[in-house]
Amino acid sequence: MVNLKDVQYIKLKIKRRNSPQEASYWQDFQIPYRPNMNIVSVLMEIRKNPVTADGQKVNPVVWECNCLEEVCGACTMLINGVPRQACAALTDKLIEKYGDRPIQLEPLTKFPVIRDLMIDRSKMFDNLKRVRAWVQVDGSWTIGRGPRLPEKDQRIAYEISHCMTCGCCLEACPNYNSKSDFVGPNAIAQVRMFNLHAIGRMQADERLEALTNKGGLQDCGNSQNCKQVCPKHINLTAHIAAMNRAANAYVLRSFLDK
Amino acid sequence: MSKLSFFLRRFHSLIALVPLGLFICVHFLLNSSIFLGNEAYLTMVNFMKHAPFVIILELVLIAIPLIFHGIYGIYIVYLAKNNALQYKYYRNVAFYLQRITSLILLAFVIWHVYTLRLTTGSPEDVYAVLLATLQNPLTFVLYVIGIVASIYHFTNGIFTFCITWGICVGDRAQKIFAICAILLFVFFSLWAVGILLALAAA
Repeated sequence: MVNLKDVQYIKLKIKRRNSPQEASYWQDFQIPYRPNMNIVSVLMEIRKNPVTADGQKVNPVVWECNCLEEVCGACTMLINGVPRQACAALTDKLIEKYGDRPIQLEPLTKFPVIRDLMIDRSKMFDNLKRVRAWVQVDGSWTIGRGPRLPEKDQRIAYEISHCMTCGCCLEACPNYNSKSDFVGPNAIAQVRMFNLHAIGRMQADERLEALTNKGGLQDCGNSQNCKQVCPKHINLTAHIAAMNRAANAYVLRSFLDK
Repeated sequence: MSKLSFFLRRFHSLIALVPLGLFICVHFLLNSSIFLGNEAYLTMVNFMKHAPFVIILELVLIAIPLIFHGIYGIYIVYLAKNNALQYKYYRNVAFYLQRITSLILLAFVIWHVYTLRLTTGSPEDVYAVLLATLQNPLTFVLYVIGIVASIYHFTNGIFTFCITWGICVGDRAQKIFAICAILLFVFFSLWAVGILLALAAA
């Protein structure tokens, strides 16, 4: 166990890449130790004076961040190999857990890298569109208040509503990769939420139809990594199992009804 | 057909339990006749060899489902980008083992069927080949590895079947089912090794 009083530098090892076409490379950085920092504040410190640990002046590290309170998902990256938000990764906790060795930062591997730690996350939004993860209320007149949701359903929907589409579950999922077009655990959970919604459930069958098409929920292999890495502790595996039940019933029903 | 992969995946899951899983149970049960002695075992093999429609039953209930499950299964193994070393969670390791045991199981079944079904004729031949295989320490160990791997694939498969078909959904239910799958794995493994030891000692 490292005593934080003895730590002089916060050391970082960052996987960098100048452009999508170029190969990636590693660079070491260090900043004088200060208590109560997180990875975002360390990266900001490096940006002020972008010099590597061996004194070489380089371009500042590119990364994305927005809310700084673990609700937007923009700063998601691999921190010591674990997908999580940089804003919620406290350096003191990391040093206590992993010791005084450099903290390793990498961009997520399941998305195209734009530059350094910045990735193109648009695939996730395409997948949400694929499964129609929205409530359809467009119209030119007021339709009044919707029906109330039962308390039981509210609890399930509230949990799923914490999803910020950060990509941790997709990063850890062995079946979400370039060989398949799996929609991913988060999109499956969103279907459960919108199918519970009093207005959203009017399009329940359309979502189930999308979810049972190519790349749908059948591509889940029950590795259950999604649930383990979800920063919002969403019980993704239970939501996938619930949607399995609904999807099987839907497919059987649509076969027998035609 | 956009639902093809959904149907194939569900079919792949269903036939693994019925008839293939059911067949494993029957197979173990019939082989347990060795516990009643060599005579009983030979009578059982004789009965099975001369049962009516045995060829059709073998084809429809075992060979065709097994070949489909095997071929589509290899495709599923290919699709995964395993990361059990990076994410050492229990289920992820099980996911990886499920794929490794599938390949061991495939090799074992080919060997098992080739030596005891395709190239041996009379019940006495089958028994002689089986005895020779099990009394050689090397092939005995290979048999134990093949069968224990198959049982892992089967019992872990029962657990994932229950999720795939939406039978167990919640945390508590999944935990109970996971424990049951482990107990089932231990039970079947002990049973199988018991049969092998009894056969080797005969």
